[in-house]
Amino acid sequence: MSILSQAYSWINLKFLLAGLGVTIEVSLISIALSFAIGLILGIIRYVGFKYVSAAVGFVIDIVRNLPLLLIIFFTYFALPQTGLRMSAMSAAITALVVFESAMLAEIVRSGIIAVDPGQMEGARSTGMSYWQAMQHIILPQALLKMIPPLVSQFISLIKDTSLATIIVLPELLYRAQIIYGQDTRYMLPMYLMIAVMYFIVCYALSLVARRLEKRFG
Amino acid sequence: MAMIEFNQLNKYYGDFHALKDIDLKVNQGEVVVVIGPSGSGKSTLIRTINGLEGFSDGQLVVNGMDLSDKKADLNALRRDVGMVFQHFNLYDNKTVLENVMLAPRLVLKRDEAENKKIAMEYLKLVGLTDKVDSKPRQLSGGQKQRVAIARSLAMRPKVMLFDEPTSALDPEMIDDVLNVIKEIVHTTDMTMVVVTHEMGFAREVADRVVFVDGGRIVEDDPAEEFYNHPKEERARQFLSKIIVHK
Repeated sequence: MSILSQAYSWINLKFLLAGLGVTIEVSLISIALSFAIGLILGIIRYVGFKYVSAAVGFVIDIVRNLPLLLIIFFTYFALPQTGLRMSAMSAAITALVVFESAMLAEIVRSGIIAVDPGQMEGARSTGMSYWQAMQHIILPQALLKMIPPLVSQFISLIKDTSLATIIVLPELLYRAQIIYGQDTRYMLPMYLMIAVMYFIVCYALSLVARRLEKRFG
Repeated sequence: MAMIEFNQLNKYYGDFHALKDIDLKVNQGEVVVVIGPSGSGKSTLIRTINGLEGFSDGQLVVNGMDLSDKKADLNALRRDVGMVFQHFNLYDNKTVLENVMLAPRLVLKRDEAENKKIAMEYLKLVGLTDKVDSKPRQLSGGQKQRVAIARSLAMRPKVMLFDEPTSALDPEMIDDVLNVIKEIVHTTDMTMVVVTHEMGFAREVADRVVFVDGGRIVEDDPAEEFYNHPKEERARQFLSKIIVHK
């Protein structure tokens, strides 16, 4: 019992919560950036601009088939050799955004494909331009269809921020390791605590998504 | 004056010759019904009129616009040529009222108050003023199709195209939709092309009947003449089958 209360001392909890703050900060920034980029790339892939769409597809295929950890290592350890040096925070965000944009682009593209082609014909038959139809009819419906896979991907992203512990980003997992590094008996309590924290954040996100779907679905 | 004029038009899907040497003229204010067995090309034919389908060679002039010109402004053409689809194609993410108001707002830049007034007029015409705030999924098939008609009419087009407007409807809904179309025929001088299997309706509204088979226009007659004395054997067979079904 005393081990638990020592492990969960106020100082340790504060230290962990600061790590949770870093995890959430990295996650939110990465989600916002990768969603914006993924949306644009997914639309480019769908619309089929000559050369550009093929080039985008080629890059997406490469990125999607690499381990995220490799991309993080590459960004933090290899890029500095080309003169591009980043903080652990920037490197983690950059790697996550590169990887997740590629994943999200495919979700966006399949969401657009899933909209009934009759919707586009209906809109075009009234004289709307292709992009007017996209903006007002196709994308709003596609986004709704994308919510479940998007949320899964965002949850993966939040959990994958823990990989950045390897480049010494002071996020949740890293800080848990610091704490049980002082006393290995804290290991189990620390893992339990951060498991609960990851769960709460990710589960809250899926609850928000469920409400969004209900509201607009 | 010809509103729609096909001149030796051909269309291929790869090797498949979908439309063969089409010659067809529809005058301003005329109502032409297109009939024919499934797969005959009647749907392809009507969809070339507003450029939803392209064609391979020949000429098609609609509302003074030459569609064989690669630079033809199809968006401009479609402002004047409305279309009603077999499967309605209402915007699933918009309310009934928004479905009707969207294109006039975006395409015609119609003033918002005016836009709403006109939308409500047409929703009244199709008998759906009590459904303005509903989403398409809350409507029956017949109601959806009537909204789709109001959506097209709200653009105040010169030409209306109906591509099997009642083929996806339950029997008891069909009359509601046909009555709306009859009303439009009798109260406006819009040019209309209607693909349909509803023979009683066709007889009542059509100035001319065009019979299509195997991608070819087999017969093009005044409506009464077509029903009473079809010239071609293929048309006679088709008519007899339809009558047997009734």
